[in-house]
Amino acid sequence: MRDKLRKWREDNHRNSEQIVDVAEELINEHASKLGDDIWIIYEQVMIAALDCSRDDLAWTCLQELKKQFPGSQRVKRLGGMRLEALEKYEEAGKQYDSILQEDPTNTAARKRKISILKAQGKNTDAIRELNEYLELFVGDQEAWHELSDLYINEHDYGKAAFCLEELMMTNPHNHLYCEQYAEVKYTQGGLENLELSRKYFAQALKLNNRNMRALFGLYMSASHIAASPKVNAAVKKANVKYAAWAANQINRAYQLAGRGTKENKCSVKAVEEMLESMQITMS
Amino acid sequence: MAEPELLLDSNIRLWVVLPIVFITFLVGVIRHYVSILLQSDKKLTLEQVSDSQVLIRSRILRENGKYIPKQSFLMRKFYFNNQEDGFFKKTKRKVVPPSPMTDPSMLTDMMKGNVTNVLPMILIGGWINWTFSGFVTTKVPFPLTLRFKPMLQQGIELLSLDASWVSSASWYFLNVFGLRSMYSLILGQDNGADQSRIMQEQMSGAAMAMPADTNKAFKAEWEALELTDHQWALESVEEELMSRELDLDGMFSRELPTGIF
Repeated sequence: MRDKLRKWREDNHRNSEQIVDVAEELINEHASKLGDDIWIIYEQVMIAALDCSRDDLAWTCLQELKKQFPGSQRVKRLGGMRLEALEKYEEAGKQYDSILQEDPTNTAARKRKISILKAQGKNTDAIRELNEYLELFVGDQEAWHELSDLYINEHDYGKAAFCLEELMMTNPHNHLYCEQYAEVKYTQGGLENLELSRKYFAQALKLNNRNMRALFGLYMSASHIAASPKVNAAVKKANVKYAAWAANQINRAYQLAGRGTKENKCSVKAVEEMLESMQITMS
Repeated sequence: MAEPELLLDSNIRLWVVLPIVFITFLVGVIRHYVSILLQSDKKLTLEQVSDSQVLIRSRILRENGKYIPKQSFLMRKFYFNNQEDGFFKKTKRKVVPPSPMTDPSMLTDMMKGNVTNVLPMILIGGWINWTFSGFVTTKVPFPLTLRFKPMLQQGIELLSLDASWVSSASWYFLNVFGLRSMYSLILGQDNGADQSRIMQEQMSGAAMAMPADTNKAFKAEWEALELTDHQWALESVEEELMSRELDLDGMFSRELPTGIF
């Protein structure tokens, strides 16, 4: 049981309902057997309880932690999170401000303040605050990702691309960042961006051969470039070749998937028809 | 003349060699825990944290810049290195080199370091020398010159004895350095019992996180960044990708519920 909790903790799973189910039983019956682990389990459970709106459980966890670690900044942050969950944003903000007064380098409190703004729907304010935060703490990858999401929501794709570039540089082997970057570039449109997006879809595929989304993206961006009136013949030919290869791979993947049941056979056919129809509109 | 093969009493092995090993080891473990107890918190200012992260970012730009498009790389390089208002040119941090005598926290740190490490070593070395003196403990497997004799054969007054035969004090020092790897096995890396590492740190100068270095660090980064060039790793990525079929093995190893159909 505790091993499961530890695994969830280390992998950053956010399966709050499961955690809450496991935790109640664990805490009530085996508190003495857990030893010192119990404090970190309390923290994990409290966050899960806030997710599931289990205020009672969250309150008990918080009380236990406060008794054990009075004046701890980590506990204060949890208290602030509880206030956030109860939508008492002003009080939560004050709590975080007090943490920051004690310790200006505390990143957790700053991030919670920004998430308060996001929860209230003030996207532009959140973006501004997050920018200031990132000026101070340039290395925080979570924050860069969050900022890119906020920018995508605001349709500011250029800046979102910038954030994703930071992420790609720090994690060059992560195919998901490549793919997200390629999608942003594709959405931005324009010939150069389409070419870039095609390249990054290809890179994502190179890093992980099974990324279907990247495969589809490769197909679409290549077809799009090929269909664009402004390209010269050589580029067009190359892109048609890429698109054909991608379509081939997609078919192959669906064939592999469709080895089993009858339903899957229909999906293979559907994919083929879709690819053909896209070709007709493109060329 | 061939060297005399001294036959050592096996009691020596039992009552001298092994106890010294145990003593050194246990003292090391105790030192480790004591150093943990006496550790003081290091307070970092916001500026230091921020600067260290900026340096990391610039270094990453140099190393992994080839994964982002050329224009983005140039944009960032420009941001850092521009003549008038590039970050590395513009920011000058206030330089206050904390000298060991005036900065109280560094002073206490040094004192604690000395107390926990050097003092026990001296004490125990002396005690061992006093207790286990007057006989030969062990033989080092390689020949030594006569110069080493007074150092390694502290209690033994034989002029003709080969310098390879050493006394217990030298066995103790051998242990101190030899058990280092044992400590990392048992106590994990970065343990407080690792004396030679600490001595190395003391020799290589004051602590690395000194603020005075920030300006120099910036300058070094500026130079390094000026020199880096952008070689896009993605030039021929499509060709490489399409040279062979995708590896889709094991992708659909179990039945996934398809939602649409």
